[in-house]
Amino acid sequence: MTDAANTEADNAAGVDAPLQAMQEHLRQLVGGSLIESRVVQGQIVLEVAVAAIQQTLVALRDDQHAAFNQLSDLTAVDYPERPERFEMIYQLLSMKNNMRLRVCAAVGEGQAVPSMTAVYSAANWAEREVWDMFGIFFAGHPDLRRLLTDYGFEGHPLRKDFPLTGHVEVRYDDTQRRVVNEPVSLVQEFRDFDFLSPWEGMQAQIPGDEKAGKDG
Amino acid sequence: MAEMQIKPITMNFGPQHPAAHGVLRLVLEMDGEVIERADPHIGLLHRGTEKLIEHKTYLQALPYFDRLDYVSPMNQEHAWALAVERAVGIEVPRRAQYIRVMYCEIGRILNHLLNLTTFAIDVGAMTPLLWGFEEREELMGFYERASGARLHAAYFRPGGVHQDLPDGLLDEIADWVERFPAFVVDLETLLTNNRIFKQRTVDIGVITEEAALDLGMTGPCLRGSGVAWDLRKSQPYDAYAEMDFDVPVGKTGDCYARYLVRVEEMRQSLRIIKQCIDNMPDGPVLAENNKITPPKRGEMKQSMEALIHHFKLYTEGFHVPEGDSYTAVEAPKGEFGVYLVADGSNKPYRCKIRAPGFYFMAAVDYLSRGHMLADSVAIIGSLDIVFGEIDR
Amino acid sequence: MGVIDPRQAAPIGPGPEQDAILKAVGDEITNRGFVIASADKLFNWARSGSLWPMTFGLACCAVEMMHSAASRYDMDRYGMLFRPSPRQSDVMIVAGTLTNKMAPALRRVYDQMPEPRWVLSMGSCANGGGYYHYSYAVVRGCDRIVPVDVYVPGCPPTAEALIYGLLQLQKKIRRTATIARG
Repeated sequence: MTDAANTEADNAAGVDAPLQAMQEHLRQLVGGSLIESRVVQGQIVLEVAVAAIQQTLVALRDDQHAAFNQLSDLTAVDYPERPERFEMIYQLLSMKNNMRLRVCAAVGEGQAVPSMTAVYSAANWAEREVWDMFGIFFAGHPDLRRLLTDYGFEGHPLRKDFPLTGHVEVRYDDTQRRVVNEPVSLVQEFRDFDFLSPWEGMQAQIPGDEKAGKDG
Repeated sequence: MAEMQIKPITMNFGPQHPAAHGVLRLVLEMDGEVIERADPHIGLLHRGTEKLIEHKTYLQALPYFDRLDYVSPMNQEHAWALAVERAVGIEVPRRAQYIRVMYCEIGRILNHLLNLTTFAIDVGAMTPLLWGFEEREELMGFYERASGARLHAAYFRPGGVHQDLPDGLLDEIADWVERFPAFVVDLETLLTNNRIFKQRTVDIGVITEEAALDLGMTGPCLRGSGVAWDLRKSQPYDAYAEMDFDVPVGKTGDCYARYLVRVEEMRQSLRIIKQCIDNMPDGPVLAENNKITPPKRGEMKQSMEALIHHFKLYTEGFHVPEGDSYTAVEAPKGEFGVYLVADGSNKPYRCKIRAPGFYFMAAVDYLSRGHMLADSVAIIGSLDIVFGEIDR
Repeated sequence: MGVIDPRQAAPIGPGPEQDAILKAVGDEITNRGFVIASADKLFNWARSGSLWPMTFGLACCAVEMMHSAASRYDMDRYGMLFRPSPRQSDVMIVAGTLTNKMAPALRRVYDQMPEPRWVLSMGSCANGGGYYHYSYAVVRGCDRIVPVDVYVPGCPPTAEALIYGLLQLQKKIRRTATIARG
């Protein structure tokens, strides 16, 4: 995500030595499946191919020197404009080195991601949450069910194309004597302002510009 | 008579149950009185916080953090404030750092008071709750004095805290710090050597060091299993590096060890609060950078520029440069992390909240297997579960 | 509830005047073995004097609800005891954000409560969605699921505000005519 300039600035400023040593070590450890490694705000970020994610995490966990013994967090980010829409994010923690590491992998829509439950048990529910929120399928997950959303919920809320207010709302129906789902009807729409100010956001044409350009 | 095969019974626990600490639905597969498998159904308080944050400016998103773990609101705000500060790169004044640390520790005591006393009520002791809540009232009074709200303070802001402490508050807190140890002693006389309490908690819900790390446990639940890991010590943020305190570590990893760790943490928090009061520096409480933090009221009456800044900040908000970062704090329950992806606009592109309770809840199955039904209540109580942060 | 002067419809505080009334009632019971009162008022007195709310803590407001029941605010003073079971309670305090997933459970619990029953909606989220109004997972007001008698505003309402709301509910109960007249 971070632009190259930031990375270069970090490198030029001389990121502290243990971090660079670790980065070098990880580069060798992960080997061929590494796409890119950089340091962002004092944390190493490794970008790997999604097929190699399992072997990478196993190597990171089992290596004596690196010893990333805890999976702090597992999540995804949705970038609809990219060819491979999702990015899987694994936050690892090495208590031995007091260091955090982020492993990223790009995933296309409909592409399965190998499940990490065998590597870190903590991944179990985190992957269920990602499946629920983004609809990314995890191959080899023992129990891939929805976790947070309503029973019988449709869609994946954290995708960027999912509307904030969703598609259904509930109401108790007196005649049917049960809680029913209905399409959303808001009394007042969510007010989402365009904050691009007239001073900073004036790259586009002002209404009327097209007339000024014309001859005659 | 021929041997009979008894079918395991599936039992539903919750979502409305006084010992569920909120809205937990636990589907238990029982073999008689013994739990064979626990399947927690969560999400009954899923409010879509992460999606809502994507639609709010950075400042508007802050109060959502109060409402995650509503037992210790300011600790969550702290994570967000630090994440935004890291992304925009501003320094927090020293006084603000001290105020934040002090209120975080007050939040920790608030949390442990609620957890320990409700845990006691779950295993059958009523009195700690009545005593503990009186102390909580005092602490909520301190919240109210500083921020105006008893619970949802919205007091920590990117760049510092919203306003300076009112006169005399520090003396009152110092006074309370003197009184509180007597309460902790009382609490311990009620519980620590109480036979019933020990029968309900010792050797119940044991988790080993390796399993705790593997399951992503953090905070007192990890320290109860003997791992000396505290982000306040290992990755100090704000003024924690200057504080002198100890990290209590348990030995047995059972419900009782987690209880003992929390009791000792309250004492250590008191030490930190005391140090904050004694060494409270003078100076501003909000970074003086009017692109991020609002100008002072008085300034706005005089200066047109300040008025414009104020208007811009509270309508458009500030823009955060593109980039992603993971920031974690040691919340009372454990590692509370914020993974923030900024795209250069005034709203977060993605904000993932790493709640400690989420991983505790996932471990309930591991912890309660082979225990009796009544022990599941003790296990849930000892894990310190609050659904606001688990379901988000 | 206290002693109420029917002429002024105002409560009579402790003192000789109240003592005289209480003594007159006591004498009548000892002499004749019964007193005559309007059944309506008797029912309302009994109902409003022992409102048993059910613990239905959903979110943040539950913390304030616990505080209102704990030592400082002590709701027991008003005869309000929290009951863990809907079958034993008269009032449901919807304390916190009601989500779509929770809504059927809330309704089921409400249906299990015996008549007469009342609902108190506590906090912005239960009143109308509040801070989470536009979320895909939140019910925009618990009155979409159950009929609400009293709304307590605030995020969260303080323990005092909740007790004030409950006292308002007592007033409301006293106003109702419990026996239908043909």
